[in-house]
Formats: sequence, structure tokens, C-alpha cells
Amino acid sequence: MSLVELKSVVKRYGKHTVLQDVDLKVEQGEIIAIIGRSGSGKSTLLRCINGLEPVQAGQVWVDGVAVHDPASDLRALRARVGIVFQSFNLFPHLTVARNITLGPMIVKGLPSAEAATLAREALRRVGLEEKIGAYADELSGGQQQRVAIARSLAMAPTIMLFDEITSALDPELVGEVLLVLEAMAKEGMTMLLVTHEMNFARRVADRVVFMNQGRVWEQGPAQEFFASPKTDELKSFLSSVLH
Amino acid sequence: MIRELSGTDMLYLIGAMRWTVFLTFLALSGGGAIGLLIAACGASTRATLRYLARGYVVFVQGIPLLVWLFIFYFGLSIMGYNLPPWIAATIGFSVYASAFLGEIWRGALISIPRTQWEAGLSIGLTYIEQLRHVIIPQAVRVAIPPTVGFIVQLIKNTSLAAVIGFVELTREGQLTTAATFQPFAVYLIVAALYFSLCYPLTRYSRILERQRRVAR
Repeated sequence: MSLVELKSVVKRYGKHTVLQDVDLKVEQGEIIAIIGRSGSGKSTLLRCINGLEPVQAGQVWVDGVAVHDPASDLRALRARVGIVFQSFNLFPHLTVARNITLGPMIVKGLPSAEAATLAREALRRVGLEEKIGAYADELSGGQQQRVAIARSLAMAPTIMLFDEITSALDPELVGEVLLVLEAMAKEGMTMLLVTHEMNFARRVADRVVFMNQGRVWEQGPAQEFFASPKTDELKSFLSSVLH
Repeated sequence: MIRELSGTDMLYLIGAMRWTVFLTFLALSGGGAIGLLIAACGASTRATLRYLARGYVVFVQGIPLLVWLFIFYFGLSIMGYNLPPWIAATIGFSVYASAFLGEIWRGALISIPRTQWEAGLSIGLTYIEQLRHVIIPQAVRVAIPPTVGFIVQLIKNTSLAAVIGFVELTREGQLTTAATFQPFAVYLIVAALYFSLCYPLTRYSRILERQRRVAR
């Protein structure tokens, strides 16, 4: 079975259908970029994968756990599925170190000394060891986002979800965050990225998924996907974002 | 029988302050405990719990504090429960404080952005753990100014307990006035003593407010 498997997933907010019969498989180690216009259901898709949003129909399987089933232990699953948000969502009342150690200590019961080592290691991976004692409001947007990535990494996730994580950043800060993502990609992390960075998607992703009107409209290997889009909708989307 | 206002009267007044503080403290403990429950229910995602909390707050706030004191002192004694004034006052003030604190704290809880809950949820924290480690520490900062404001109100409102025979600062002032017939001097002293209780609290809340960080 694939690491992530979505079968005919339907998500509605009241009468508004956000996801309609979405099927998607993600294999271990795959890097998938999800693109599409705002409102096409990209972020919702991501949020359904770690159970932040319940689905109305269909099945969501992640690492053998039935996320669509209310009886499943989502707490244990979420410890293995990292998610990074557009707005960072660091805990502002805690230091960088505590932001990172909170999950491992509470959810996994790690002793504080080990957690501290883990925090330093996670910060090293995002290149921010010197900020271990800082608070979020003392960091730039790019640094906050890298800490948020470190916070997820510290849980040793089997898959990472990234929800437009560079969209709230000033243009000059985007690069440092993408570098961290690339390094993770090289280490073989399974990653799903909702992104507007087309060049990054082309360069790093194994597969690109185009969402339109709540459906997986078109998908394919990155190079082929951008070079020869099949549907008119994707052609018009690509031309609007690339030119 | 009228005598001069003396240093001894001053000592009695200062002594009576401790009953004001004592009652405030008991009301805060009782009211705080129930208030926490009310706030947690009021900020819950379950509609039933929210309606229950809302109903309690509206009900308690819709009845004057003085009437609550009469209910617990005179009302219960008719039903055969003869409560000493300090216990009746503690219950009355606790009920009163729980509604106001519950409402203040509910507001502080829901002022923390939903994304903070989600960040906690997505690293695997349970609802209680999210509250304890993420939401409450931030909500506390939001809640400090209105909570201290309410405590200041509470300190002053404990003077109402005088009417059910609880001898606190105001009641002691009345007794001293009756003996010395110097209401102006006595009540100025009483006023100064209340001020000496309330002012440091207000200052302290300002300091605490500056120390904590919170999501905006």
C-alpha cells in the first residue's frame, strides 16, 4: 500500500463542495507539488491528510491509518505527519527551543536533555542553531518558517506537508526556506507541497498535481507536466503564472 | 458614649481589612474554580456546553449581587440551613465572581487564533494539552488586565457583605462612626485603606502584561 492513499474523497463546507472525488497516491520518498488557483482545494487536500479537516465521503489512508474513520487514533498519526503552515504558527510565548521540544516531550515522553539535543539537531538542519533561545517575534519571517520546519522535523515524521509556506514571506526571504526544503528532499523525505513557486516545483518535485474545481485535474512527472500540459485549464493556469 | 477617634480605632480598621482580603480571596478561589469550568465550556466546540455556560453567566449576571447575598444568607436559613455570614458571603461572592471571571476568561481563550490550536493539534497534542501548553499561557496575558480590573471591583464589592453582618472594612467603618460620630474622618481612612489594596494590584497587572508574549 502507498504511504498516502486518497480514494474518492469528498469535502464540503455546508453546501459548498471543496473536494470532489479526489484520488491520489503518494509513495514513500516521493516529492509532490500541488498547484492550482486559490480556492481549488489544494490546502484543504493537505489538511484532510493529517485529519485537520474531516472528510464527508471517501477514504484517506496515511501510513496504514484510516484518517477518515473517527475511531482512528489521529494523535499518534499526527506525530508522524508533519505540517508547516503559511503563517508559521510558532508558539509566541515559548522560546525556539521550547517550540521544538514541546511535541517530543509531551507526545513522545522524551526526557528534556534528549529533547534539547534533538532541538539543536533540528535547528542545525535548518541552519538556525544560534536562535535556540530566541522568541518568534525576534525572528524574520524566513527564520520563523525555518523554525516551524525544525519543529516538525523534531517529531521525526514519515511524511511532511507544506501549505504554501513561502506565500507570506517577503520575496528576499523565500530562497532560504526553499533551500531547507531542497536539503530535506535530498535526504529522501516524503513531501507534499502546496506551492506557487513553479520553478521550485519543476526542479524539486517528482510529480506535480494540478487541482481545479476541487478535483485532481491533471498530474504527471514534473518535467513533462510543465513542458506539455494536456488540459486547457492547466495550459491557461500555467500561462497566467509563468508569464 | 461618643468618644474621640483614636489610634486604636485606626488599628481596628486596619485589622478589619484582613476580612476584606479574606473574603476576596475565598471568592476568588471559589469563583475562579467555577469560572475556569465556565470558560472551558464556553470556549468548547460543543454547542451544548457553550449554551450551558452562556445560560449560567446570563442567569448569574442578571441578578444583583446584593440579592445573591440575601438568597444565600436569609433564603437558605428559612430552608433550615443556618449559614454563618462569612460562609453565605463566600458562596454569594463565588457565584458572582464565577460568572464574571468565566466570561472574561472565555473571551481570552477564544481570542487566541485558531491556527495556534491547529499548530498544537498537528504535533499530536490532545485538547487538554493544547489548552495547557499553548492556549492558556497566551490567554493568561490577554486575561490579566480585565481579571485584575474585576478583582479590584470585587475588593470594593465585598463591602456589600456588611449588610448580612460580616464585619469587614466598611462594616468596621460604620461601627467606628457610630462610636465616634466622625464619619468624614473615618470614611476617609476607610477609603484610603481600600485604595491601598487596589492600587498596587493595578500596577502589578501592568508589569505582568508587559512580560508575556502572545499570538496576534
